Amino acid sequence: MPSPLEIVGARKVFATPEGGSMTALDGVSLKLASAEFVTLLGPSGCGKTTLLRTISGFETLDDGDVLIDGTAVTQMPAHRRPVNTVFQRYALFGHMSVGRNVGYALEIAGRDKREIDTRVGEMLDLVGMSGMQQRSIAQLSGGQQQRVALARALAGKPRLLLLDEPLSALDKNLRQKMQQELKALQRELGIGFIFVTHDQEEALTMSDRIAVLAHGRIQQIGTPGALYRTPANLFTADFLGESNLLPAEVSGTAARLRDGQGFAAARRGGPATLLLRPEALCLRAPNGPALRFDGTLRETFYTGTDHQVVLDTAGHGTLRALLRADGALPDIGAAMTLYADAQGLHLIDEVLP
Amino acid sequence: MSLRRLLSLYGLLFLAFVYAPILLVVIYSFNANTLNMMIWDGFTLDWYRQIFGMKTDLADNATYVDSTRQLYGAVRTSLIVALSTSVLSTVFGTALALAVARYRFRLAPMYRALMMLPMIMPDIVLGIALLIFFITIGMNLSMLTIIIGQSTFLVSYVFVTVSARLAQSDPGLEEASADLGASPAQTFRKITLPTIAPGILCGWLLAFIISMDDLVITYFIAGTGNTTLPIHIWGMLRRGIKPEINAIATLMLLFTLLIAAIGLYLRSRRQT
Repeated sequence: MPSPLEIVGARKVFATPEGGSMTALDGVSLKLASAEFVTLLGPSGCGKTTLLRTISGFETLDDGDVLIDGTAVTQMPAHRRPVNTVFQRYALFGHMSVGRNVGYALEIAGRDKREIDTRVGEMLDLVGMSGMQQRSIAQLSGGQQQRVALARALAGKPRLLLLDEPLSALDKNLRQKMQQELKALQRELGIGFIFVTHDQEEALTMSDRIAVLAHGRIQQIGTPGALYRTPANLFTADFLGESNLLPAEVSGTAARLRDGQGFAAARRGGPATLLLRPEALCLRAPNGPALRFDGTLRETFYTGTDHQVVLDTAGHGTLRALLRADGALPDIGAAMTLYADAQGLHLIDEVLP
Repeated sequence: MSLRRLLSLYGLLFLAFVYAPILLVVIYSFNANTLNMMIWDGFTLDWYRQIFGMKTDLADNATYVDSTRQLYGAVRTSLIVALSTSVLSTVFGTALALAVARYRFRLAPMYRALMMLPMIMPDIVLGIALLIFFITIGMNLSMLTIIIGQSTFLVSYVFVTVSARLAQSDPGLEEASADLGASPAQTFRKITLPTIAPGILCGWLLAFIISMDDLVITYFIAGTGNTTLPIHIWGMLRRGIKPEINAIATLMLLFTLLIAAIGLYLRSRRQT
């Protein structure tokens, strides 16, 4: 079976109003293995929306190809492509009822009215808005508009659903609920979802795979777990989750921090950066080899299950740690020591600026 | 007196200044005094009867000697001109507004400014320019030259009202329509047109009313035998101001208000 979506060497350069040029996509390649939920994650201006728009057909590539189900659609206008989009601001048709909005793709395709009505009913059931065909768009809440946009994009049975930061306008509770629903929906429908967001938490929660974009390039693509545990570069490490980044020097299979503490590393040699996630730090020394950080406790934040701790160290700058709330913490300003297991640590092949 | 009261007094005076003359025209169109228009002498409908060609007791020297047929002819000419002109300028004005709003091209702001220019151009200049143009290309002055001439500046009014509507509408809607499989023609018919329809309607009505009302430009390019209502009234006035004119003015006012009301009604129905 051909891949639902394949992007090969996509390049896109925009002319800026100042007369310069901006490379939005700088050789992006991406392939969906199957009906996956893939998130394009990156800060604003990283090219993620441009990439989405080249899939939907609203931007033409300067170079490279887009294939949907193995067929090149690079030159195909947007209205012929078998993909639908849930837009960031929904773009619902205000002069039509909810029912006509949802049935729009079928109406355009010239299906008969009975078939359209049935499908619209199914779609509204799917998004939890049964029986609201006659409502006008202006009567809907933000969350309901979101659902109508989703139902409208799915009604025409697209091969691929594109979602352009669709949850950014919703409040936090509703957003979390929709995240779970979207994930469940994708599994149920068995089609590929390409989801664009700048929210790393959202990306981690929903995705089968995440592609981290910056400066028009895919920095890294992988499962949320792989990206979180073993980021390939500093950008990914920093953008995805909280991180403590410490300069290290590697020689052979041994690495050293600046203060001389050593740990095992599977790397050839030269300068590198050690990634320590806040939850890798703990109060008690683990059995076996460990890294030790002495400092003074600057601040603590209590989150219910954990303490977020900020520690000022002499040799390693400021460290952030996430400690289980069961242990007693010293007073703010007092001396404190944190440990990290010195085995299975992740090194990044880049030097801190 | 407080500033607030002073302001409201100013407001009242301003309204009176604008509307009192119009109100007087309406009131005196029912005045029975045949000699002095400004002295109330009892209620009559004779002036309206006269316009509609009904029998009245009015002496010939109290009315314009024109036959009702001439007045009707002028109304008919005006209606034909206004209808053709408004349709023509609505089609072109809408197309222009869409082009300037939707396509990015060099000098777009200049085109936009050029489209506004006819609205502030002195009527006399436009009238002379059109007259010279028609004579130069050897076109006989006729109803057609009035229609062409009026359209040249009425396009601007439609352009402005439709542009305003387009500026408010979300281009994302057209993208969404294309995304759902609609061809550009389908998108235009099902999304763009309904969205900007109030602007088009508004522009069309505006063009219609201004066309019905235009005197200066039309006067230059009408030639003989194509008398529009404003030109006809102008001709009547040159033979002295008689009460009949009040009745004609009142009817024109009523007609204009009716069109505006229809426009507002259609607009409010669209929005719900």
